[in-house]
Amino acid sequence: MPLTISPLAERRGVRAAGEVGLSTRQVWERALEGIVQQGEEVCHVELSAVTFVDVAGAGALVAAARRLPPDSRLVLHRPPPALCRTLELLWPGFPAIEVSM
Amino acid sequence: MGARTVHRAEDPFVHPALFYGDEREYLAGTVPFVLDGLAAGEPVAVAVPGERLRLIREGLGDAAADVRLLDMREAGRNPGRIIPGVLRAFADAQPDGRRVRIIGEPIWAGRSATEYPACVQHEALINAAFTGRAVTILCPYDLNRLDADVLADAYATHPTVVHAGTGTTAQRISDAYDPDGVVARYNEPLPVVADALTFTFDAETLPDARHTVTAEAERLGLTGIRLGDLALVTAELTTNSVVHGGGTGTVRVWAQDRYVVCEVRDKGRLADPLAGRRPAPQDQRGGRGLLLVNLVADLVRLHNGDEGTTVRCWFAL
Repeated sequence: MPLTISPLAERRGVRAAGEVGLSTRQVWERALEGIVQQGEEVCHVELSAVTFVDVAGAGALVAAARRLPPDSRLVLHRPPPALCRTLELLWPGFPAIEVSM
Repeated sequence: MGARTVHRAEDPFVHPALFYGDEREYLAGTVPFVLDGLAAGEPVAVAVPGERLRLIREGLGDAAADVRLLDMREAGRNPGRIIPGVLRAFADAQPDGRRVRIIGEPIWAGRSATEYPACVQHEALINAAFTGRAVTILCPYDLNRLDADVLADAYATHPTVVHAGTGTTAQRISDAYDPDGVVARYNEPLPVVADALTFTFDAETLPDARHTVTAEAERLGLTGIRLGDLALVTAELTTNSVVHGGGTGTVRVWAQDRYVVCEVRDKGRLADPLAGRRPAPQDQRGGRGLLLVNLVADLVRLHNGDEGTTVRCWFAL
């Protein structure tokens, strides 16, 4: 299943659709790199149409959030439950990622 | 089983097996160990089966409030989870420069024959995981209810032993100490199970492998978070095969007793026995896949052979 990325119309960030795995990792990392470079205080990632994110994909989110300026954060909108599970288990209490259901 | 009363002074890591016969010996071997640690200002955790945890809590009285208490049947049901999720999770969170004390009882009567190889390998790997650190991990063994083979293995996985029944807490060196030998001896083959759904994958078909396995697990009765966990585990293991295990592998899924079992075989060789047992440091990006597998599965068994690696994971229905 491919991964498609499109800019959000109403705010800074991207909408992703599909699955994040080995074959789509580059597309995912490039999209995250792009929004981090915008240097906004809050970057939105709309994930309601993403059905799966593997551990490396979750790690790419954490790596992107780490490159944000201080006091900035990534907001994940409606992420798949397995992504929340991975973040809780492997990066507990990581401050720069916020989840919005 | 021979034991000498000499001290191994080289390594600050202390890992005695505590042999106990009854409740009185259990308490005599554990409660003073905890109280001595608290008196020395050392952080103390106790991770033992629930009914034993209640005994220790009662024995400690008010001091129990200062101890981290965990039911090992829960926290350690997958032995591969204990080092990263229990022992190091506690030890690494403590301030530097102070010895950390833990009572860890990962092997109890009732551990199945399927679980036991993972249990005893875990006990052996604790030594490599903590070498050089000022940590004491005391591991109780039930003399009355564990098999003789299990008790003999405890001499091989622990550099020192304590016999609670002798009325002394002195540690004696175990002459049978051989943790690498234990890891190798219990590296038991996992024969192919007939009638399991089988999918051979490569880089192109990784998503198909995960979808096929997840659909079959759902058909077998796995639901909700557990089904999501199985999807994560399948993705990590199959991706590992593609990236590190020769580019291809075979995944199988079936139901056994009250579990869904998922297994991945490939031609790779997992050289690092502690893979998946280290809590990844916050600033390190990769290498967390096997850790996640250990954290979410109810049991993980691994076989490393000349022909490749097999990882088998159980998920309770």
